[in-house]
Amino acid sequence: MDVSQQDQYVVIELGTEKYALKLSEVYEIIKMQKITAVPNSKPFLEGVTNIRGKIVPIISLRKRFQLAEAPGMHKARIVVVNHHEEMIGIVVDGVKQVIQFSDIQPAAEIVSRVDSSYFQGVGQSEDGLIGILNLEHVLVG
Amino acid sequence: MDRSEMMGVFLAEAEELLQLLEMEILNLEQQGDAPHIIQNIFRIAHTLKGSSAAMGFEEMKQLTHEMENVLDQIRHQLLPVTQQVVDILFQCLDQLNRLKREIEQDGVTKTNIDSIVQQLRQLETEAEGNRESDSQLLEQKKQKAKKWICKVRLSDQCEMKLPRAHVVLQQLMKWGTVISSEPDLDSVSDETNLHEISYIVKTDADADDLRHALRQLMDVDEVEVVPFSTDSLTDAFLSLTDAHKEEEPEHPLPTQVRKEERKSGHTIRVDVEHLDSIMNLVGELVIDQTRIAQVGNLLRDRYAADETIDDLERISNHFSRIIGEIQESVMKTRMLPVERLFNRFPRMVRDLARSLNKDVDLLLEGKETELDRTVIEEISDPLLHLIRNAIDHGIEEVGVRKKRGKPLKGTIKIRAAQQENQVVLTVEDDGAGISAERVKESAIRKQLIAAQDAEKMSEQELIQLIFLPGFSTAQTVSDISGRGVGMDIVRNHIEKLNGLIDVQTRPGEGTKFTIKLPLTLAILRGLLIKLQETTFALPMNSVIEIVRISTKEIYSIKGQAVVKIRDKILPLIALHDLFRMPCGKRKTANVFIVVVGLADKRLGLVVDDLLGSQEIVVKSIGSYIGQVEGISGATILGDGSVALILDVTGLFKLAHNLRSSQSHVMDDVG
Repeated sequence: MDVSQQDQYVVIELGTEKYALKLSEVYEIIKMQKITAVPNSKPFLEGVTNIRGKIVPIISLRKRFQLAEAPGMHKARIVVVNHHEEMIGIVVDGVKQVIQFSDIQPAAEIVSRVDSSYFQGVGQSEDGLIGILNLEHVLVG
Repeated sequence: MDRSEMMGVFLAEAEELLQLLEMEILNLEQQGDAPHIIQNIFRIAHTLKGSSAAMGFEEMKQLTHEMENVLDQIRHQLLPVTQQVVDILFQCLDQLNRLKREIEQDGVTKTNIDSIVQQLRQLETEAEGNRESDSQLLEQKKQKAKKWICKVRLSDQCEMKLPRAHVVLQQLMKWGTVISSEPDLDSVSDETNLHEISYIVKTDADADDLRHALRQLMDVDEVEVVPFSTDSLTDAFLSLTDAHKEEEPEHPLPTQVRKEERKSGHTIRVDVEHLDSIMNLVGELVIDQTRIAQVGNLLRDRYAADETIDDLERISNHFSRIIGEIQESVMKTRMLPVERLFNRFPRMVRDLARSLNKDVDLLLEGKETELDRTVIEEISDPLLHLIRNAIDHGIEEVGVRKKRGKPLKGTIKIRAAQQENQVVLTVEDDGAGISAERVKESAIRKQLIAAQDAEKMSEQELIQLIFLPGFSTAQTVSDISGRGVGMDIVRNHIEKLNGLIDVQTRPGEGTKFTIKLPLTLAILRGLLIKLQETTFALPMNSVIEIVRISTKEIYSIKGQAVVKIRDKILPLIALHDLFRMPCGKRKTANVFIVVVGLADKRLGLVVDDLLGSQEIVVKSIGSYIGQVEGISGATILGDGSVALILDVTGLFKLAHNLRSSQSHVMDDVG
């Protein structure tokens, strides 16, 4: 896995677990806002919302990982990422901080609980091991 | 202006000229050797030569130059306009189009023009031959188009001499080309001395005809018509020698030319992207305006007595009026006459008819009807396909037409007309029509429908099957319309534009496709409806009526909920079912039903609440979500939230799929 150790990552929370997204992939982080459901669509699609006049699709990472709905969502955030020139929002339980990893290992060997293709690696930090999301697969594959 | 800007101007101009050229060559083919057509083609080639030379596009310059030479020979009656000449001119056009495309894409030209230049030169050589040997024929031809001097004396009682002189000019123009007049009517400032006017007219009419025609005019006392030649120049005509010498740039209509020039000075070219971005910004304004109005209402409820709110409302109303006007103006700037699109058809019809050995007349009506440019772009392919189909499958072979006692020449009529906020396009042919029986057989054979279902279908329903994917009636696959693009693609294209397509056909008499399109895609009038807590927008143009009925009036027939409205039985579908949303208990015994229509089908949609109608700015839900059945886009409401825009075509499909599964309409009765 060819990931520069200097890269910065955004740590997000899903229940008690932590995941990381490359900072360069994150466009912005906004508070939870009203989302309009789109019927008969992808199962993990939460719906669409209005971000400064643009219609932005929003997916739920919980639904993507087939986890139960979170009880209180007051800390919930929408992480807006850029995907093929389109903005897409990802609903997460919370956003922790921006960190750098001292070491990144390939994901396949470590992760087994969730589909390993969702991860492009596992990073080692002071807070412990954090799965680095493979955005392309989380969004599409 | 730097080179890239100049390039833009050059390409835009070339595009226009080439379109004109195509039109004129078609005219030439249909009307034969008419001096003004040759003149127009000459002028186009000349202009193109000039601008391509200035931009350094050698091939284009050379080709147009050679064209000019040939056209010049035609103009001087040295070369007759034969089919061969027309064909070569078409080849020149194709070649020029190719060169233009290459310039557009790569900035340089690659196409070799030697062979076409060779052909042009050959024509020239022929003409040279004519000049030397066949002088008799030449003389004859010259005789055909004669030049006359028509001297007219206006009566002394004539009160408005100059306008009268113009009337005479107009009259002569009907007979041919007025090369010049003495005095020059455009430069006459004092009409009191205007008694005698001499016109030089080029026409193939006789002197007697002209004399007779002119005598009929009011205020004309004397008429004298003499053949024009250099000898016949009297003193009064001395100034005309110039006109005779450079008869090349014959100004057939001096006044008109001037008018056009004046008009072009008042228009500017604008990059389409600029218009798109203005349109988007106006869309934002429309949404913000709705929000301001809503906030105003809230404040009014809260501080009823506050005068500041009166002000706010006044400003808000003014705002909304202005935004409405801006929106309309911006929309107008994006509108183009369908002429732009229609211009592409004659050439295509000609080429196709020739290749299929059919004789086809193309009638175009309503060229001036205006449509949003995106709609024009999107509708082009489907229309071309319909026309291709009409020529290929519709119009019969000449032999067959003869046997059926039809005119040997087939006719294809394309009409555009505006109806309120829609445009109706029709493509009509007088060909063989579509046989419902054959459609049925074909659909059953291809297993698109079950045989027993087909038996129950009406003729009109059977004809509609041609829109099913995978359907084609063509017995033999021709290279023209057997390219795997079927009517289903045409329908999809049109539905993507929120349009409708319908077909009417009579075996042996012809087929007519009717397409209805919204004038613009960007903004539409939507009916806001509510399901639970979610708001949806339904395009107003597919809403037929809204009714509120008691649940007692809902009946179930074979599991399908129906209601009788105005003596018509209407199937009912709860939108909740289509979207798999929970359907809460109804508080009242009444339900809202929105009746929507698609072609001749009607469907009643049960909704929870109606919020009224408003202008909505259509936005795409993006490629990530992709196509969702029943939803065509989204819009932003006054409170900033997103409402999905329903797509009636998709709703009908969903309703069709739902038919057998359980419906909730009946569940909550009582």
